[in-house]
Amino acid sequence: MTALRRAQYEVAGRVAFPLLTALDRWQHRLTRSRKGPGGGPFGPPLESVKRLKELMSHHYFQGRYADGAVPVAWVTSGFPVEVLRALGYHTVYPENHAALCGVQRLTPEYSDVAEARGYSRDLCSYVRTDLGSLLSGTTPVGRLPRPQLLACCTNICQTVLYWYRELARHLDVPLVLVDTPFVHGAASPHQLAYVKEQLEELCLVAGRISGAPLDAERLVEVTRTAQEGSRLWGECLAASRARPAPWTGIDGFFHIAPIVTLRGTEPCNGYYRLLRDELNDRVARGVGGLKQERHRLLWDNLPVWFAVRRFSTLLAERGFNFVSTSYTNAWAEAGVGIDPNDPIGSAARTYTHIILNQDLPNRLDILRRLSRDYAVDGAILHSDRSCKPYSIGQVDLRERLSRELGIPVLLLEADHNDPRSWAAEPGENRLAAFMEQFE
Amino acid sequence: MRSEEIRTQRERHGRRAVAVLPIHYPKELLTALDLLSVELWGPPGPPRGDDAGRVQSYVCSVVRNALAFLAGGHAEAVDGVLFPHTCDSIQQLATLATDLGGWRKPAFTFLHPRGADRPSARRFVEAELRRLAGTLEALSGHLLTEERLAAALALHARIDAARAALLDGRSRLALDDTRLYALLRRGEWRWPADHLVELEGALATLSERPVQRGAPVLVTGYVPEPAALLATLNEAGAFVAADDYAAVGRRVVRAAPPPSADPWRTLVDRYFAAPPCPTRGADVAVRMHHLLGLAERGGARGVVVHVLKFCEPELFDVPAIRETFAARGLPVLVLEGELEGQLSGQAVTRLEAFAELLQGARGAA
Repeated sequence: MTALRRAQYEVAGRVAFPLLTALDRWQHRLTRSRKGPGGGPFGPPLESVKRLKELMSHHYFQGRYADGAVPVAWVTSGFPVEVLRALGYHTVYPENHAALCGVQRLTPEYSDVAEARGYSRDLCSYVRTDLGSLLSGTTPVGRLPRPQLLACCTNICQTVLYWYRELARHLDVPLVLVDTPFVHGAASPHQLAYVKEQLEELCLVAGRISGAPLDAERLVEVTRTAQEGSRLWGECLAASRARPAPWTGIDGFFHIAPIVTLRGTEPCNGYYRLLRDELNDRVARGVGGLKQERHRLLWDNLPVWFAVRRFSTLLAERGFNFVSTSYTNAWAEAGVGIDPNDPIGSAARTYTHIILNQDLPNRLDILRRLSRDYAVDGAILHSDRSCKPYSIGQVDLRERLSRELGIPVLLLEADHNDPRSWAAEPGENRLAAFMEQFE
Repeated sequence: MRSEEIRTQRERHGRRAVAVLPIHYPKELLTALDLLSVELWGPPGPPRGDDAGRVQSYVCSVVRNALAFLAGGHAEAVDGVLFPHTCDSIQQLATLATDLGGWRKPAFTFLHPRGADRPSARRFVEAELRRLAGTLEALSGHLLTEERLAAALALHARIDAARAALLDGRSRLALDDTRLYALLRRGEWRWPADHLVELEGALATLSERPVQRGAPVLVTGYVPEPAALLATLNEAGAFVAADDYAAVGRRVVRAAPPPSADPWRTLVDRYFAAPPCPTRGADVAVRMHHLLGLAERGGARGVVVHVLKFCEPELFDVPAIRETFAARGLPVLVLEGELEGQLSGQAVTRLEAFAELLQGARGAA
């Protein structure tokens, strides 16, 4: 780490970015004044969106200057990040970066690069996107800082381990693994002991790389902040129990970014306080995410990033809103389990009990509970070609949910990032047929 | 043949049978408990029942076929099923078949630690092995004594030694690949002591000098299905001189530490001494080093990567394999399959062309 790089990093975050943001706001005001108000089936846009964009842009902008200034880790979304945060790491989430590329429909281009290097198109499209970006040396965020550490946790899938093995090979940096054995029923004591021991190993390895040992008090503080962040995110989601829901599930897919990438930081929590207050205010005023909410839906699995807007518009035009999604709920439900009084032990328990690391009866329970809590009239299960752990079992889940709750449930085959695996015409026809069941 | 073996073992020895999903599992424990393990690699061919449709078509055929097989009542001869946590798909199959329908008899799981050999992983494996042994005891009706475990460990060490000798001495063995693999794969379902007898019979036929005349190749991949691949390779003038199939060579423990006085420790040592496998999160560099060693010992002139479609653990390592062997001037052929009953015409042509290329390489050398 050099003092110059550190200064650049601080200036980028504290001076340059605020200046650029102010300039952007000014330009935006001029543009908006020319465009005038928009139309469509959606309710008024959330004011918080502007702050969300700033928060995430700040994260990626400052990240350009992070390597050489502060320790940098590339991290999976389900990784127990509190330890790294307490050690002062700047964290980059390749999944979030891949999703960002997916929204911009860059996956085919990046996937071509990865496929040319021998990666199969049958691999997860997040992986192909991210490896393609790495191998081509390009990214829509300008620049990703080079990591000193790769931090992978298997609680969301085994794919991340294969992915990070490849990152380690290409980048020649150490990979630290927190392996969370799958939970059938309840986690056994030896499973939890194993995860806890790995977290203790992580403290040592990550501390050695960062150049400073872990400060126990700082870890307690970060854990408290992370727990609070999950609770706040849960409160944002819970606002959709109201009728009409004050925002759409699609909004939720975008607003999840801070809890994934900035969990354990005050800016993350500050943002969710702002969002929660705005959502509660909308509930009080009866302002919905849709102009007219006629039907309430549950979504299961990752979003279809490249078609999020298209999907939501198709549905919204006929009064359908996703008021709950198992994906966004995962970060609210699991994170509150971490306990500042026992940061390592509670993290072992919490990060082992992520939705994707538990059996299908647990998953069915969650879907049932969300369906009831949010009073949904139907559900769409995204059968995601790129996410096998989330998708295998959905055929049975669809049948059981439909039978037990007496609601229409659609299994829709797509992919979270690769538009080449999405047949728009038949897919949209299926959506239309599904919606007709409610007429 | 499997049904016959299950019946024979039950009638003559009172042994119960457990179907086992791929890939790695502590077979020594089952043997020690007098349980016959019968591996379920699919089975190959079209799914045997409609339940395959409960799993999406973008999931590998091992999982889809296995669900159809179990739910269709084709595994009624066994008394339980063991699901090792091999990959995301088999892990999901374990909960799908047992929790949501398809398998009603006892089901067992075995959770692998991922990544490098480290103290935390060793402690976890031992605890997991003891947990599994406890649940299997109830099925077998036997208590797992240290004597039983030590005897099973010794038996499996001998089996591994015999399999290693056959694979490493491949060029001196007069069997063609089809017959050799038929022998090796009978170990997936025969009672281990009986399998050892036939392995030792084959070992006795090893010549002093090479008898194989074709171009030697290294094969890596999931499972040698369809078996016609081996015949095609032989007919085209090549033979498998080094094996890293997950179902075969990747399960042969060659370098285990000497047995300890504590058989549980020996079992854990054997677990970590197995060849590197992507499903267990082996470091890529370690695996490439292992493959290079295999290729060198077998004198391989080319590499066939034979992967199962949608099998992420295998597919992820393909670029590294290509790069590793390209750097040493060894051609690599990547073949993808879906447990078909027959090899496709395209695959035959590609194998023939590859063998021809390797024969040309010998001429050039």
